[in-house]
Amino acid sequence: MRRVAYYKGCLASLSAKELDTSTQALAPRVGLELIELESVTCCGAGDIHEAEPDYYLHLNARILAYAEATGADTLLTVCNVCTLNLRQANWQLKNDEALRERVSTNLQRVGVPPYNATVEVRHLLWEIAEGEGYELLKATAHRGLKGLRIAPFYGCQILRPSKILGFEDPDRPWSLERIIEACGGEAIDYPAKVKCCGFPIIQAREETALGELIQPIEQAKDAGADAIVTPCPLCHLSLDAWQSKLRAATGKDFRMPILHLSQLVGVAAGLEESELKFPLRHLLTIGGAVSGAAASRGPAPEPSSGVEL
Amino acid sequence: MAHAIAPVPGSTTMELALKIWRYNAETGAKELRRYEVEAPDWATLLDVLDIVKDKHDGTLAYRKSCRMMICGSCGMRMDGAAVLACKTRMWDIAQSGHEPVISPMGNLPVVKDLVVDMSPFWGKIRAVKPWLEPGYDEVAEKERIVSQQQMNVIHKEALCIMCGCCVSECNSMESDPEFLGPAALAKGFRFVGDARDQTAPERLSDLNSEHGIWDCTRCYFCNERCPKGVDPRDAIAKLGAESIKEGIDHDMGAKHAKWFVTSAKTTGWLRETELVPKTQGIVSAIKQTKFALGLAKRGKVPPPVPPHVADRVKESRALYNLVKEQGRDGALGIVQGEHALGRIEFTEEAGVRELAPELQPGVEPPHAEG
Ligand code: SF4
Ligand code: SF4
Ligand code: SF4
Ligand code: SF4
Ligand code: FES
Repeated sequence: MRRVAYYKGCLASLSAKELDTSTQALAPRVGLELIELESVTCCGAGDIHEAEPDYYLHLNARILAYAEATGADTLLTVCNVCTLNLRQANWQLKNDEALRERVSTNLQRVGVPPYNATVEVRHLLWEIAEGEGYELLKATAHRGLKGLRIAPFYGCQILRPSKILGFEDPDRPWSLERIIEACGGEAIDYPAKVKCCGFPIIQAREETALGELIQPIEQAKDAGADAIVTPCPLCHLSLDAWQSKLRAATGKDFRMPILHLSQLVGVAAGLEESELKFPLRHLLTIGGAVSGAAASRGPAPEPSSGVEL
Repeated sequence: MAHAIAPVPGSTTMELALKIWRYNAETGAKELRRYEVEAPDWATLLDVLDIVKDKHDGTLAYRKSCRMMICGSCGMRMDGAAVLACKTRMWDIAQSGHEPVISPMGNLPVVKDLVVDMSPFWGKIRAVKPWLEPGYDEVAEKERIVSQQQMNVIHKEALCIMCGCCVSECNSMESDPEFLGPAALAKGFRFVGDARDQTAPERLSDLNSEHGIWDCTRCYFCNERCPKGVDPRDAIAKLGAESIKEGIDHDMGAKHAKWFVTSAKTTGWLRETELVPKTQGIVSAIKQTKFALGLAKRGKVPPPVPPHVADRVKESRALYNLVKEQGRDGALGIVQGEHALGRIEFTEEAGVRELAPELQPGVEPPHAEG
């Protein structure tokens, strides 16, 4: 069991608790012992980076410092945006001693442990797409997805900028496909899997954002996907909750189930439904398909947000 | 990318095949044509196109001039990704046997084959007033000195060669063609951040218009594609930070960004229920309420009371006050980290790695068509 510091981020702490629950349930199966960070805050998404960049750096340094204080060498994330924010701050602190000195001194002045830049930030996706995590995943995914057709949606900030993320080719990523296949599913291919879902501007520029959001959902649907899986709870939120707005705006009703990565793997690993916390309707399709009913697909479920406007 | 070791330049030739999207705007005819060429080992994509044009098909149209990554003429897509043809060596691709698909840049109208109409691009560059407004017109007695430190602030943005590779893949521009876009906004910061320019507040308020900085969806395609390391997305973040520093925060995007700051220093976690009213103003907030209530019913938004407060959140508030005292507000907060980010090495930890061995998806890359 490898001990890693675990940063949930806002979404898994609050509105996407099912991401946290399923991650906690899955972790031991893939060789990870999670040390939950208690005293941390939001990483600021791209927003604090854009509003108060010096504060962004300090907030993220604080998270990194508490991760370092656990003695773990890895900080595990379950959100694309957290991953980029923390890695970007980490690279700045690692590669510039004077900057690290200043930030670390500031941290200590307010009672936070110093940061010596010994931590590596890694997304759960990377932990289970290769190495020991992948071997364990293959062994644990015994229930299999039984041919379920899954569309991988990467989102932006786990791929780009590749200089900072650096795990895989941002134009031809492979990690989600590899995981889907290891779980016995069939990975659907479609061009928008590496594009943006529009989340960052979904409130400030809804129309522009919906123009982005529709692409992955429509393409995945056309390619015959049963569900979309994403490693990012923000992508999850827009892909899932905004389907009703998409319907209102375009008249197209996709009813595409959206899964967190940990839920998808959890299904294949045979975790209890209570641990995965699916919205009921998702459970019906996914659970049904897994237990062998894949052949007789009924009508697609409502998205979990099925909110009338 | 293949792993074959490149030969001593000029010592051998390579054979490669490529497919090019041919397009005639007058007739609307479109065709993917395949060419097989023999080229020197050192050939770039531009060299290969020259060979195609010289030896195989004189009707092929594309732009070029400097052949050395400085004029910005030769932007085009290879396998769906915008590149400078003259910067793209073909040896590895030839060795792998892969046949790349060449197409014109995106987000710009195609004129013929690989030539796009750059006028929308130039229109947006012009819209950001790409000239210095130093606030004087008399000739000075002595030269006016600008320190290296001052110039460092706009060093990256000044590297732009206006090739359009960033614009080609901009996800927001696909959805809102009027978006000023990465190149023009990077140019905008090049002047906002220039110590000699006297019009930063006016410039910032222009860039805060409807199709300005807050239209950016942070897809980071621009940073990924830029062949000169401009990192336009970072330039946009600098403009956002400068705007907020100047109190230009009327846009919903700015309010949204500021709300994250408030959340981080009060409860520590994003207060999502309050985000909608904070960013959209009260009228649209009421319209959103049904939607938000729907989300809440499904556990997508935590109930408003009691607020979820992070442990030791006092620290993050104290940190905020401390940082504000140190006065690295605005773009400086991003500029200060650039030196370090520029030093990221492409080791296993950072930098693009190979495909998984058993998984070489025969994937048609994103937007491979013109
Ligand atoms: S990226 Fe979002 S979800 Fe992740 S911690 Fe930051 S604000 Fe929260
Ligand atoms: S797709 Fe959108 S929400 Fe998801 S990571 Fe990219 S920017 Fe963020
Ligand atoms: S920012 Fe980079 S990609 Fe965009 S036009 Fe300038 S040089 Fe080209
Ligand atoms: S990050 Fe913003 S400006 Fe850059 S390509 Fe994406 S949407 Fe366009
Ligand atoms: S020919 Fe000038 S940049 Fe390529």
